[in-house]
Amino acid sequence: MAGLEVVQQSRVRPYGAYRLRRGLLRACLYVVLTVGALFMLLPFFWMISTSFKTLADAMRIPPMWIPSPFVPGNYTAAWHAAPFARYFFNSFFISSMTMVGEVITCVFAGYAFAKMKFFGKHVLFMLVLATFMIPGHMLLVPSYVLIRGLGWYDTYWALIMPWVTSAFGIFLMRQFFRTLPDELWDAARMDGCPRLRYVLQIAIPMVRPGIATVALLQFINSWNSFLWVLIMTDSPLMRTIPVGLRFFQQEAGTQYPMLMAASTMAIVPVIILFFFAQKHFVRGFARTGVK
Amino acid sequence: MGRGQAPPPRLIIMANRRGLRNPRALRETGEAYLYLLPAFFIMSLFTFYPFINALLMSFQDVRVVARVDGQLVPFHRTFVGLANFQVLFNDRHFIQALTQTSIYVVVSVPLTLVLALLLATALNQGLRLRPFYRLAFFIPYITPVVALAMVWTWIYHDRVGLLNYLLGLVGISRIRWLNDPSFAIPAITVFNVLRFVGYQALILLAGMQNIDRTYYEAARVDGASPVRAWQHITVPLLTPQLFFVFLISLMGAYRIFDEVYILFAGGAGPLGSARTLVFYLVDQAFNNFRFGRAAAASVVLFGIIFVLALFQITVTQRKVHYDQ
Repeated sequence: MAGLEVVQQSRVRPYGAYRLRRGLLRACLYVVLTVGALFMLLPFFWMISTSFKTLADAMRIPPMWIPSPFVPGNYTAAWHAAPFARYFFNSFFISSMTMVGEVITCVFAGYAFAKMKFFGKHVLFMLVLATFMIPGHMLLVPSYVLIRGLGWYDTYWALIMPWVTSAFGIFLMRQFFRTLPDELWDAARMDGCPRLRYVLQIAIPMVRPGIATVALLQFINSWNSFLWVLIMTDSPLMRTIPVGLRFFQQEAGTQYPMLMAASTMAIVPVIILFFFAQKHFVRGFARTGVK
Repeated sequence: MGRGQAPPPRLIIMANRRGLRNPRALRETGEAYLYLLPAFFIMSLFTFYPFINALLMSFQDVRVVARVDGQLVPFHRTFVGLANFQVLFNDRHFIQALTQTSIYVVVSVPLTLVLALLLATALNQGLRLRPFYRLAFFIPYITPVVALAMVWTWIYHDRVGLLNYLLGLVGISRIRWLNDPSFAIPAITVFNVLRFVGYQALILLAGMQNIDRTYYEAARVDGASPVRAWQHITVPLLTPQLFFVFLISLMGAYRIFDEVYILFAGGAGPLGSARTLVFYLVDQAFNNFRFGRAAAASVVLFGIIFVLALFQITVTQRKVHYDQ
């Protein structure tokens, strides 16, 4: 009883001054965080703002924050200055295909590693994890030789096939499948359900959030991929958005309003995707760190 | 799988014990291999095989026959021992790339991590605008790096760049971010600190929210100030995440390329001040067609990453429990 009294006292005593200090601290925190957040968003605001300016207005010092006159023409000019429609199609096509492939390969491999007993499981899983250590850039030169040898240079195959699986995806799917109770499969097996059917009809629907995370991360990765596409393609017809943007940078030179319009076009799809699927993103990213 | 017959428990135990000799375990192994086949086929072809090939090439002289009907065909590989590495370590451009990348790593990684830790702490205070903050700090991370770097070439502009204007307001005179050799690495650092701080904070925040609240209650009862609670509870219990983020970003920072390539318009920066390891590798391979030397450089990169990864594995196995 005496102990409890002490506890309550120490909690109650400094309340007035403490509360004031706490309130002030909180206000400071809000200010700092808000300034920081606005600073993070500033490049995006500046990009969009510049993309609606004339070249002369863009070069003005002190800077003009809100464009006037408002010039939406930069977008149409940029769109027609380079085959952006084709770039967008390529990016969407390649990202979607790798996403589908990644989900299929990672779901099955992840399930096997999570729930099946088989010879060599530990070694094979270690092999998958070991690929985390291999920097992708180390594979560029031999991959270039390989892609040349396969006759895939400057084709969609080169941009899709190497990316339809990943150690990270397998690992993430394994983590999600592991959360399923074993009794589920035991029950299904007793009812005579083949494993493939169990996986497709019962297990997969239960790990849908995991699949969404893997799919999204892969889509974004493919969408943002730059160096691989730069090296494995040659013709403008095969370029994706980032590579197309890089060539546009060379052509447009100092036409910053047009460059910013093109950058905005490249960023917008990702931002939209992020808005609609924020929780899947956050889960995927956070999960890499926790557990 | 067998139709309808539930195996008696004894059989399952035997399957475990006898492994492959048991038909049921054999069957499961076969089925598991089928499930693994697509992933391992792709991985073997596009990761394991090129990996071994990269190691081989680093000890080879790879002659590239230029222009067979406009195509470049790698041709004629002969073993030359350590010659590639010898050339590499006598190439001042490679040494420059190695030093500059290391400087960048040593500066940017701790800086980002400290800021991320502070940011995560702030975001962990149960503020109202948290979703907004999270979004604002996280967006640079998911933005296509090429597009973002493009925006920053504009922000870093010598004369009319936004950054120099803002710095001018606080009395800092104009910095030639992308044209002054001594500012190339700082420019890349600023860009990437801002890009990664939100992502790292998110991982740390998730870790913080996993910390048992009773620790904090106990600390408050003992009269510990929030700062001391942070010092003695939050940070120590966050060690696994801090360590994870630290090494992941260390390994990532050594591979830096895309943003440098865009910021410096495909070049190595003024006086090569933005030449990084991967830039050197790509330049050697695809501009000069020295595949052997590029492979040797990539093996050096792998060596660095490998040592860091081994370090991570040994430490995490001792201190952190990854499996659920």
